[in-house]
Amino acid sequence: MIELAPLWLTLKLALSTTLILFIIAVPLANWLTGDKNIFKVIVQAIVSMPLVLPPTVIGFYLLLAFSPGNAFGKWLEEWFNIRLVFSFSGLLIASVIYSLPFMVHPIHSGLSSLSPSLKEASYSLGKTKWQTLMKVLLPNIKPSLLTAIVLTFAHTVGEFGVVLMIGGNMPGKTRTASIAIYDEVDAYHYYNANVYAGILLALSFVILLILYTFNRKMQQAKFY
Amino acid sequence: MKKLYFSILLAVVTLQLAAQTKLTVAVAANMQYTMQELKAEFNKTDKTTIDVVVGASGKLTQQIQHGAPFDIFISADKEYPQKLADNHLTLEPPKVYAQGLLVLWSVKPAIQPAKDLKLLLGSTIKSIAIANPQTAPYGSAAEFILKKYALYDKVSAKLVTGESISQTSQFIATQNADIGFTAKSVVISTEMKGKGKWVELNASDYPPIEQSAVLLKHAKQSNEAAARKFYNFLYSTKAKAIYNKFGYIVK
Repeated sequence: MIELAPLWLTLKLALSTTLILFIIAVPLANWLTGDKNIFKVIVQAIVSMPLVLPPTVIGFYLLLAFSPGNAFGKWLEEWFNIRLVFSFSGLLIASVIYSLPFMVHPIHSGLSSLSPSLKEASYSLGKTKWQTLMKVLLPNIKPSLLTAIVLTFAHTVGEFGVVLMIGGNMPGKTRTASIAIYDEVDAYHYYNANVYAGILLALSFVILLILYTFNRKMQQAKFY
Repeated sequence: MKKLYFSILLAVVTLQLAAQTKLTVAVAANMQYTMQELKAEFNKTDKTTIDVVVGASGKLTQQIQHGAPFDIFISADKEYPQKLADNHLTLEPPKVYAQGLLVLWSVKPAIQPAKDLKLLLGSTIKSIAIANPQTAPYGSAAEFILKKYALYDKVSAKLVTGESISQTSQFIATQNADIGFTAKSVVISTEMKGKGKWVELNASDYPPIEQSAVLLKHAKQSNEAAARKFYNFLYSTKAKAIYNKFGYIVK
């Protein structure tokens, strides 16, 4: 018997993560683009950490942080009645941390590649920083935005190590498709594992196909 | 662009994280197939949805200690549920529901498992699957038996460790391991029946695997009555018949 719940859950997690990260990453990347100072370099290094850290390291620290037996988890539980460990919300926070560089990097490099004259022209015409970002800079880096969104989405779909450590494999809450595959293989239900794996394979291919098609079209439409 | 930005923001804020009330049961990997049948039998008269989370007993214990929202824990031994009881995470002391048996199993046609474990020294056997003794009671039973016959050091280079008895069984079933130790309930399950050859090891050679279950404190927050009903069902005559069928010893 094959359940679709893990696939829906994965979709929900990936979409939520992408949305949240988009909101965080746009201002963050914009801030990182300005004049360099030591503080920005440190933030940049922190943002990139999940790229090089083993997922188990992130999972381990989050497990310790979220556990109601420890200070932070206890505080959350006593003050807000929230328990993050082995829950969807906890998974969402972990995914946001884990996929952060995949959203920030493309947007950051897109913004950095823009000619400063664009920004200067906008400022001299009396636009605020926010208006400039929204109306001038972002519309000019659409391929980078798309890349960031697609990479973040795909990376969250493929998340495994972190989910394994802090997810607890709860059906409908934290059993994502990648965990379900692992589980079904262990249970020797190869048919189910095949179905999940096949869907993820097709999904990944389609996502990349869309990304490259759009990026090509936008490259051709570029006129500056 | 600004509009889009704020509508996204709104979508995230209003994102509903629906909370459901149903039973979540943490099940030791050796009980995985048995649990499917227990669930089916229970659902004949009671429609409570039962979510099953399978893992090594030690790992599940660890997760419960970190606050995993499980209502009942069906372990592969006595010690792990007792540990939870000592930490005040249970509603009652744990109770034994069945005794598990260890088997030696191989799917390789050329290998004939035997009660005499010296066969493991042979050159045809290059890898021996065993569940992680740190977290899986069947793994520690296998380790015990190897040490008892002074074979452990001699075969340690061949040991392949599965993180639970189900991963260990999967190593053997796929012939990625030549032979291995697993639970009797696995080799006689519908999924594995007729695959390869297995032999039951002498139960007197290792400490009895007294599998216990326990009602967890979390049940109070979800649905204690339903949890109690399923917990009591685990000790019913009907459930005992199922344990028997899956090769457990029931007293």
